[in-house]
Amino acid sequence: MAKLPIWIDCDPGVDDAAALLLAHWQEETEIVGISTVSGNAYVDQTTENALKLCDLMGASYPVYRGAEKPLFREYHDGAEFHGKNGFGGAELPEPSRAAERLPAWDGLYEAAKRYEGSLELVTLGPLTNIAIALGKHPDLKEKLHRIVMMGGSATRGNRTPSAEYNIYADPEAAQAVFRSGIQIVMCGLEVTEQAQLTPEEIDAVGEKDTPVTRFFHTAVQDILKKDMERGRVGWCVHDACPIAYLAHPELFSAKEAGVFVETQAELTLGKTVTDLYSDKKFGIKNALVVLEVNRPAFAQLLTTAVTHI
Amino acid sequence: MEKPLPVLLDGDPGHDDAIAWMLAKASPLLDIRAVTSVCGNQTIEKTTYNAQRVCALLGIDAPVAMGKPAPLLAEPMNAPSVHGQSGLDGPVLPEPNAPLSSLRSVELMAKVLQESETPVALVPTGPLTNIAALLLAHPELKEKIKVISLMGGGITHGNWTPAAEFNILVDPEAAKIVFESGVPIVMSGLDVTERALIFPKDFERIRKVGNPVARVVADWLEFFYGFHREIGYTGAPLHDPVAVVSLIRPDLLTSKRLCVEIETQGEYCRGATIGHDRKPANALVNFDIDRDGFADLLVEAVSTYGEG
Repeated sequence: MAKLPIWIDCDPGVDDAAALLLAHWQEETEIVGISTVSGNAYVDQTTENALKLCDLMGASYPVYRGAEKPLFREYHDGAEFHGKNGFGGAELPEPSRAAERLPAWDGLYEAAKRYEGSLELVTLGPLTNIAIALGKHPDLKEKLHRIVMMGGSATRGNRTPSAEYNIYADPEAAQAVFRSGIQIVMCGLEVTEQAQLTPEEIDAVGEKDTPVTRFFHTAVQDILKKDMERGRVGWCVHDACPIAYLAHPELFSAKEAGVFVETQAELTLGKTVTDLYSDKKFGIKNALVVLEVNRPAFAQLLTTAVTHI
Repeated sequence: MEKPLPVLLDGDPGHDDAIAWMLAKASPLLDIRAVTSVCGNQTIEKTTYNAQRVCALLGIDAPVAMGKPAPLLAEPMNAPSVHGQSGLDGPVLPEPNAPLSSLRSVELMAKVLQESETPVALVPTGPLTNIAALLLAHPELKEKIKVISLMGGGITHGNWTPAAEFNILVDPEAAKIVFESGVPIVMSGLDVTERALIFPKDFERIRKVGNPVARVVADWLEFFYGFHREIGYTGAPLHDPVAVVSLIRPDLLTSKRLCVEIETQGEYCRGATIGHDRKPANALVNFDIDRDGFADLLVEAVSTYGEG
């Protein structure tokens, strides 16, 4: 079977790291490029982190630096959850190389042209780079197969009661993406909050002693604690969902819906407004909203990847 | 037995408002002190006329007052697709048997509150225009309000827009005033009311009771179900009656205390009700209902209007 070519736009980030490890390990996907954005940490840090992760995995995927701040709004980092260095305090050696010279939006465009409509764009952070890419390269939307996104929610929020972090961080960019006409697979909080690794599963990873498992086990501890304080049974590996979905859609259930982003309000700023449950529909189905995951199978995929790299 | 709880019914009948009032009138736990109309499902003229006709049918002899002709700030918005051109299409109803109160809705509500020895429950089943106007004009009467048991909103979704439920969408500013008033609120939104499904088999149970009210309620249900069947419902979601169930049979409901905030802005979210626990709770929000128990309650209530 031919591997799915994927581009990962991300802001590592502890769960971004898990996503990259899974994408690197699983044989169904092939990473074509990585772009970085300010999100969980500032773009200098997320770029450095992406390069360090590549070294950790022994991979040489090209890394493209992206936007420093949201399109119109102030940038706020996610240090509360991901620590100052984005990895929850886990340290990795300095990167062996620098980022590519092209910016994220041009690197993505060149790759999309090369893959002639088959490139899968995975987004794990705020959608700033993608909005810039769509603005600069109007034909990009025809050159991508689809966007598989971690972001949003059909019913709730986490950054605010109404909005999920990635969408809230740059709502205008997210709205540009949802209005682009590109088919979107939205892995929102409904599914990503199910996609948990239990403390036992995390400790089992830690029992194997490799550079990857040592990094992983250390990086997740703070965020695991925070998730459990909020009543979860484990750590929600939000960003690994799109990667697992690409290789194993059969582990997920999803429904088509119209989805747009609120950019004009205060309380509900950044809400991904879906018409899944309302009598009134948008009249357009621009997204496949992923709602459920087979958690044990997901956990198995992820822990296998982390322990075998 | 305890003295019945005095209630003010404020609605825009409306098939489900009318059925809510049927439940209220049938219950020995409630004492209806006044009825006020609001513009929502139809214009204020039509909902007022409908309120009078429903009172004539049910034998509600409390005064009926006309509410405000438009939302506080927004333009009026109606729902003829759901309730028909009259706002209460379907069976023939008796003509009003008493004149309208000479008072407007806010004055009548204020008078009832002032004169009541015990706190009064308000039961708004339409947009919250009148209630907000009352709270603004008479803040001193808040302590006379035991609870506002309202039908409106939806924590996870809307109906009239993807994000907003009709009653809140029509007058979000009024809803904001009510939810920020400090008065105890029980919110029955789409989360619970779309589970308060009455099926065609239940229509027949009600019709078989045989009295004139039962026949009209069964016809209302059939009319109301028509719209909902078209959009995929397997029964009629009886939104408004849940606000009365909250007062007379709270044991049928599952609820949670939340902070509910109202979005008044937005391209998509105006009229959304946001529920969360990051601030102190201001409402008891109903999320589920014992559907079979609710259906039985409706049949029992209809039976109190006489033998077949």
